[in-house]
Amino acid sequence: METLRTLFPASNFALLAVILGLPLLGAFVNGVFGKRLGKEGVRAMALAAIGGAFLFSVVTFLMLPHAAAEGAPAEKLVWNAWRWMSVTGRMGQSIPIDVAFSVDAMSATMMLVVTGIGFLIHLYSVEYMWEDPGFARFFAYLNLFIFAMLVLITGDNLAVLFVGWEGVGMCSYLLIGFWFTDEKNASAGKKAFIVNRIGDFGLILAISMLVYYVGSLTWNGIEANAGALLTPVKIWPIGNLSAETLPGFLAKILIPAKPVQVYASTLVGLALFLGCAGKSAQLPLYVWLPDAMAGPTPVSALIHAATMVTAGVYLVARLSVVFLLSPAAMATVAITGVATALFAASIGFFQTDLKKVLAYSTVSQLGFMFIGVGVGAFAAGFFHVFTHAFFKACLFLGAGSVIHAMHARIHDVNKSQDMRNMGGLGRYMPITRWTFLISCFAIAGFPMSAGFWSKDEILWKAFSNLPLAPPASKTVPMWAWPANLGPAIYWLGILAATMTSFYMFRAYFMTFHGKFRGWEIVKGWKAPASHGHDDHAHDDHHEAEESLEGPTPRESPWKMTLPLVVLATGAAFAGFLMAEPIHIAPLGHLLEPVFEHASKAMTEREGAKGLMWPMMLPGLGAFLAGTGAAMYVYLNRAGEPERAFAASSPRFYKLLVDKWRIDELYDATVVGMVDALADIFTMADKWIVDGILAKLTAGVVALLGTILRAVQTGRVQVYAASMVIGLLGIGWFIVQPHAAATIDDTKLKQNGQVVLAAAPGLGYSYLWEGPGIPPAKDYSPVNQLSVRLDPGEKKDIVLHVRNAFERETTTTIPLARAGAKRMGDPGQNQVPEVRQLPTGPIPGERIQELLKPGGFQ
Amino acid sequence: MNSIPLEYFLLVAALLFVIGAVGFLLRRNLLVLLMSIELMLNATNLTLVAYNRFRPENHAGQIFAFFVIAVAAAEAAVGLAIVLAFFRVRRTIRSDDADLLRN
Repeated sequence: METLRTLFPASNFALLAVILGLPLLGAFVNGVFGKRLGKEGVRAMALAAIGGAFLFSVVTFLMLPHAAAEGAPAEKLVWNAWRWMSVTGRMGQSIPIDVAFSVDAMSATMMLVVTGIGFLIHLYSVEYMWEDPGFARFFAYLNLFIFAMLVLITGDNLAVLFVGWEGVGMCSYLLIGFWFTDEKNASAGKKAFIVNRIGDFGLILAISMLVYYVGSLTWNGIEANAGALLTPVKIWPIGNLSAETLPGFLAKILIPAKPVQVYASTLVGLALFLGCAGKSAQLPLYVWLPDAMAGPTPVSALIHAATMVTAGVYLVARLSVVFLLSPAAMATVAITGVATALFAASIGFFQTDLKKVLAYSTVSQLGFMFIGVGVGAFAAGFFHVFTHAFFKACLFLGAGSVIHAMHARIHDVNKSQDMRNMGGLGRYMPITRWTFLISCFAIAGFPMSAGFWSKDEILWKAFSNLPLAPPASKTVPMWAWPANLGPAIYWLGILAATMTSFYMFRAYFMTFHGKFRGWEIVKGWKAPASHGHDDHAHDDHHEAEESLEGPTPRESPWKMTLPLVVLATGAAFAGFLMAEPIHIAPLGHLLEPVFEHASKAMTEREGAKGLMWPMMLPGLGAFLAGTGAAMYVYLNRAGEPERAFAASSPRFYKLLVDKWRIDELYDATVVGMVDALADIFTMADKWIVDGILAKLTAGVVALLGTILRAVQTGRVQVYAASMVIGLLGIGWFIVQPHAAATIDDTKLKQNGQVVLAAAPGLGYSYLWEGPGIPPAKDYSPVNQLSVRLDPGEKKDIVLHVRNAFERETTTTIPLARAGAKRMGDPGQNQVPEVRQLPTGPIPGERIQELLKPGGFQ
Repeated sequence: MNSIPLEYFLLVAALLFVIGAVGFLLRRNLLVLLMSIELMLNATNLTLVAYNRFRPENHAGQIFAFFVIAVAAAEAAVGLAIVLAFFRVRRTIRSDDADLLRN
């Protein structure tokens, strides 16, 4: 430890390079040499990479408490890799953006979760994906994901975080569409990617605004200069839109009496939250996450439950200092969180696909996390990320284990995940069943389980916290939290928790209890040799038959059950890392310095004091009510009330099963608009680009080609003849004289002097003629002529040219000078005699006299 | 020395050049074409040295004539090589038959 500390001081903590480098190396080796390594090699590489990263993460975590003692700022291990770029701020200052990584308590915890759970899921995947032809590709992606996720959580500034952010998005896309031969999976991947783009737009906007207002992207820099975000920003009317620049009726509608102003912190907070809502599947951008279940189940567990989707929560907690400056942004986060929690839970009610239930439960739980960070309980929200990683990964892996067992006889992806085909599996798969049950207890909030501590902490904080309004400018009032918003969120959260425990236990009872509905179990049943077990996308012809026979469902091998057991243990006991009500909170103390400013900006609501224990009762009631109802409906009555409900109000039931038809709504509006736009562009492409531009151009070229082809006879003599004709043409040109002159009038304005220079040629001689030029007798070699013009005067100079062949030609060069009425010319020192203007029409014979030099000016 | 006027030289050169040009345009035998080119070049040479005779400063005309002779030698070598290669392919040296690119 001491050696490590000297090797890696807190201010130059290069050990992070190892943690980041190992998964990257694994991705590279598996991606490039995977096929040649063979499955054993790929397995060794992938597990060693993640296992090593996990070990070093543990070391980092242990070294963290000593960081402060070494003089590093605020318990932080920093590794500044290299200067990336430097941008100019609005004050003209240079803002360095480095490839820098840092670890504090929050990122260290995240690192442990990502690499630890990541390792377990790698181990699980080795068994789950063993038969898949894309084994090496799968692990290359998975390792790459771990790398990107580690970049995201250890990045010391928003730019590096953004690299990781996009990296995990890309890996998510690759892994959702892992079985890309199936159109459905590929389009699910695309959907995830595109929906995330909307969020990323917000994140980029937030980054730009932070560069502009705060002048820094590092966590320390943002924290130090966050006060600059308390600048009012005029958001409407934009630009120089005003009553003067708009037509009257529009100005009446569009220009308010007072310009709309908000604080920069609110803008940044909302833009950040748009990014977070995309990545963490919040309303209205949650639609990609349920579809993301098209990927392999371990991917759902790792990326779409435990780690990547919590990145949004992590980012809000990381930039808590920005959100604390804007109660409006915090309220948006919290309200969106509770709305998502309720909405997703309602969809989860009657889903029949086991993975879909878990997906909507993930969306719902992410909503809880956003309630936490939205009400200022950043530590609680982050703690829910931590506990959720355990029980949701366990649930997904349990579901994967069940699906694995179902694949013994049912190969269709949808049917093998359908809970209506399961039931009674608890008897055959005891480990999966018990770990699933423990995780269900945890997510439903059974007292003392992990979910209980984190969820109740969030709800309690929602009830008791009241964010203090930051000091604001007098002209623009700062939006303040209404007193009853917190309790409203609390009670809605309790409702969502009740629904959670209902649908989770519904899933549990439908899967593990009752009669097995998958196939007719025949002892000693042997698979017909004709079909393999390995092909996931393969449709089995037996399924068309009415009664399907099959073997006894079997428990999964140890590589799959060991992660289940470890994760279930975490789901049961991880809550004691931050059990605030009973004052056992080692993780809470660790996180204290990270959220120091957050706790200062919070106050306890009036009348909430001493209510902590009583307010736990509704949470407990939610668990009991939800679980009890699920038990009654699905265990005692075997789903009979659900069918009765479906029969009594079929339309509402159908609406819930169809997920409120939000996908259809988006298809009709957003996707429809984009499609319409695409159609317009297609027409433009077809008629304008293809029709006019391409075809017309091609036609002209073809026509020219046809004409020119006639000339290209291919006979040397024809070419030679054309050369001779050309030579004759040039010869004729040389023989002809050409009269031309360049006019140099640079001094025209000054003193009216113009210099004419005749073009030279073979044996040329010149003869100039014109007013005021002494008449020459014969042609002379003088090729220059200087002419003086008075203001307003016009002269025609005639040039005769004779060449060596005695041929002659003539040209006339008109010269004119502007400005008739100016008195005298400053260039000339003599004062001209001023004549009176003639009145009335000027007789023709006087014009010459009037135009003479020194005459009328 | 200066008994023969310049016009005589130029007239002979022009005659030679026209013979070469007309031969080049009308004949179809590649070897004759080459010879016609030589005729035209030599006509040029003749004018050059004739000018040099009447304007002998720097002897630019003679020097230029040497360059033309060198270029003509190179041209003849390349031209004969092309004719030979063409003959190997088409078994003829008629310029009309050099029409592979047309079809």
